[in-house]
Amino acid sequence: MMDRRSFLKAGLGGTLLLGTVSLGAGLSGCDAQPAGERPDLASSDGAGYRFGFLTDADIVMFQALVPAVIAPALTQKERLPAVTAQTIRDIDAGILRFSTATRKEIRQLFDLLTFGPSRLAMTRIWSWENASQADTAAFLERWRTSRFGLFNKGYIAITKLTNVAFYGNAANFALSGYPGPPPWATAALPQFQTETL
Amino acid sequence: MALADPIAAGIASGWNVTDAATLSGHTDLEADVVVIGTGAGGGTTAEILSGRGLKVIMVEEGRLYHQKDFNMDELKSYSNLYQEGMSRATKDGAIAVLQGRCVGGSTTVNWTSSFRTPDETLNYWSEQFGLEQLKPESMKFWFDNRMERHSMAPWQMPPNANNDVLRQGCDKLGWSWGVIPRNVKGCWNLGYCGVGCPTNAKQGALLTTVPGALENGAQLIHGLRADRLQWREDRIESLQASAFKADGYTPSGASVTLRAKHFVVAASAIGSPGLLLRSELPDPHERLGKRSFIHPVNATIARMPERVDPYYGAPQSIYSDQFNFANGVDGAVGFKMEVPPLHPAMAAGVLPGHGEQQATDMANLPRLQSVLALLRDGFHPDSPGGTVELREDGSPVLDYPMTDYLWNGVREAYLAMAELQFAAGAEAVKLAHMDARWHQSWKDTREEINRLPMALHKVRLFTAHQMGGCGMGSDPRTSVVDGNGLHHQIRNLSVHDASAFPTSIGANPQLSVYALSARQSTRLAEKLTA
Ligand SMILES: Cc1cc2nc3c(=O)[nH]c(=O)nc-3n(C[C@H](O)[C@H](O)[C@H](O)COP(=O)(O)OP(=O)(O)OC[C@H]3O[C@@H](n4cnc5c(N)ncnc54)[C@H](O)[C@@H]3O)c2cc1C
Ligand code: SF4
Repeated sequence: MMDRRSFLKAGLGGTLLLGTVSLGAGLSGCDAQPAGERPDLASSDGAGYRFGFLTDADIVMFQALVPAVIAPALTQKERLPAVTAQTIRDIDAGILRFSTATRKEIRQLFDLLTFGPSRLAMTRIWSWENASQADTAAFLERWRTSRFGLFNKGYIAITKLTNVAFYGNAANFALSGYPGPPPWATAALPQFQTETL
Repeated sequence: MALADPIAAGIASGWNVTDAATLSGHTDLEADVVVIGTGAGGGTTAEILSGRGLKVIMVEEGRLYHQKDFNMDELKSYSNLYQEGMSRATKDGAIAVLQGRCVGGSTTVNWTSSFRTPDETLNYWSEQFGLEQLKPESMKFWFDNRMERHSMAPWQMPPNANNDVLRQGCDKLGWSWGVIPRNVKGCWNLGYCGVGCPTNAKQGALLTTVPGALENGAQLIHGLRADRLQWREDRIESLQASAFKADGYTPSGASVTLRAKHFVVAASAIGSPGLLLRSELPDPHERLGKRSFIHPVNATIARMPERVDPYYGAPQSIYSDQFNFANGVDGAVGFKMEVPPLHPAMAAGVLPGHGEQQATDMANLPRLQSVLALLRDGFHPDSPGGTVELREDGSPVLDYPMTDYLWNGVREAYLAMAELQFAAGAEAVKLAHMDARWHQSWKDTREEINRLPMALHKVRLFTAHQMGGCGMGSDPRTSVVDGNGLHHQIRNLSVHDASAFPTSIGANPQLSVYALSARQSTRLAEKLTA
């Protein structure tokens, strides 16, 4: 396990090469709690959602990352805030079903990305709160094209979580030209006649 | 028939089904045979043994989902029906591992392709692992028997456009292709096999062998994870298992001890070696978890001039074995070519990107077509497979090193698939590779394939076929179980799933699992009822 000070001592390069295993419970330690209720990110239909994995700091980061990944796909730009909130909720819900071990790895990645010194060194982002979409996109592009497998891996993790949550949501089907399950089938199948699952 | 849910009807008729989320404290149970896992192998075993009058309990860590839950929704299905909520990957995170976690196991989410084990593979097992009893002539009966049980037959309808590209490309290039047999009855040709068949057409374990076992009086406990086999000398005494809450993933604290005369492990590759490792079973030659195979898969994406609608229609109906055994059974790695369905979340996961490029690629989804290659691993000294290990919390993880031998195969497969897509009329082709670009000519694509690094986290690799780790063989020094699936060191323990394969199969494995499990279970029943 590592605290902030020994992290700085070990140096960023070493830490990254050791990868996710060496960081134990993560830099932010035990004080990072899931965000729980976030009325500002609730859906307009009034259905409540409790964040069970993402912390407030993670959410700030995803408020910058999600638009950088998906905003160009949106035809109605005014939908961006609501779509971003929905995508962040779906990312959280998806991660909750991952294994303990994978959740731990993701925790470590997000800690590195939200904890000041490591964030700055790895992403060149001063603060997620004020990051422009261009800065965020430039960071993503660096990780995508990096020679280092670990950065590619981080890139894949971020974009996969975001893209799957975004394109998998029925509200966004039209953006991929996917018409959704065939209506003739849903009209004929009993499980679509009442709300289930 | 699609309108009547046989699982709901069976439960109403009094099947012995227990949702472990309803348990509290500690429960003790006893049976003749405990079967762990309800997928291709476990379902078959439970039906055959219970059919011989043995009292069987099936233990399944996933939950019982059936027609009412199959809503053609990717996100819910990936979270509920797949291992680790679809996030399972190899230890270094470089290869995505698609595997089922629900009653019916991977057969509940598989794409219904039904192939016999190739003769080359069975003959190789006989020569290399002393498995003469599994030669093609002896296995033929079991393949026929299981094809009937699961209603497997070559797909009668025309292939969807996605699969037809594979057929046309092969035709143009003079490469061999064939129509895939599928395990379906009254299929609506919808294309949602990967998220749980909504019409009850798919004849996987969920709608065949598991109900068969329940009709025979077997008990099913779902949402219950097998943690540890307690053993003494050469016998398993009991299985320790723990329950999940109704959400399917939060441990509830309830526990169950199951005693039986015999235990059959069918938690599949990764799961079965994981359970045996956790139980610290004797492993004098350190074979447990070794030789784990995955048919590493790489893919190319084509943009076609017309709509493909790659999300609709039977997901797999055409295959090509042009390169599968072209270099002999144990030469340079062979690969089988098929097509994956592309629903939006799946497509977005295979093509990770961001910004404008991603938006444009995804907006073209209706015109996208994909071909994949299944690399036949495990037949060459430079393809020794991966190793299943335990994480700190006892959960299994697969360490799968990609070797140069396999990377050469990845490159060859990219070349074949891209050439094929252009031959079939693709406007442009892009490799599922982090550094790849769209190219409008075969020449440019070929040049790129020869230049790009074949490396972890660059090549988008995945596996839907996990095999090995409890390999069969006649020699205990090189295998975990014998040719009848019996553990070499523990007398009342068998392995009846894909983890028993000594190599990969060289074809989609479900029929190999069904057939092998039927053979082993029939022998086991004779032994236990003698
Ligand atoms: C998306 C996808 C598509 C596929 N398409 C095809 C195809 O078209 N054709 C084909 O032939 N094959 C296909 N396959 C593969 C095929 O389904 C599997 O090879 C086959 O089902 C393996 O059988 P099995 O019995 O070894 O394991 P499974 O069928 O996976 O069953 C194992 C079961 O054990 C359970 N389990 C694991 N650990 C424990 C534990 N500790 N306690 C209790 N239960 C446990 C799991 O939850 C699971 O239900 C596909 C697989 C996937 C994921
Ligand atoms: S194509 Fe559709 S109806 Fe046919 S088996 Fe697959 S999901 Fe079921």
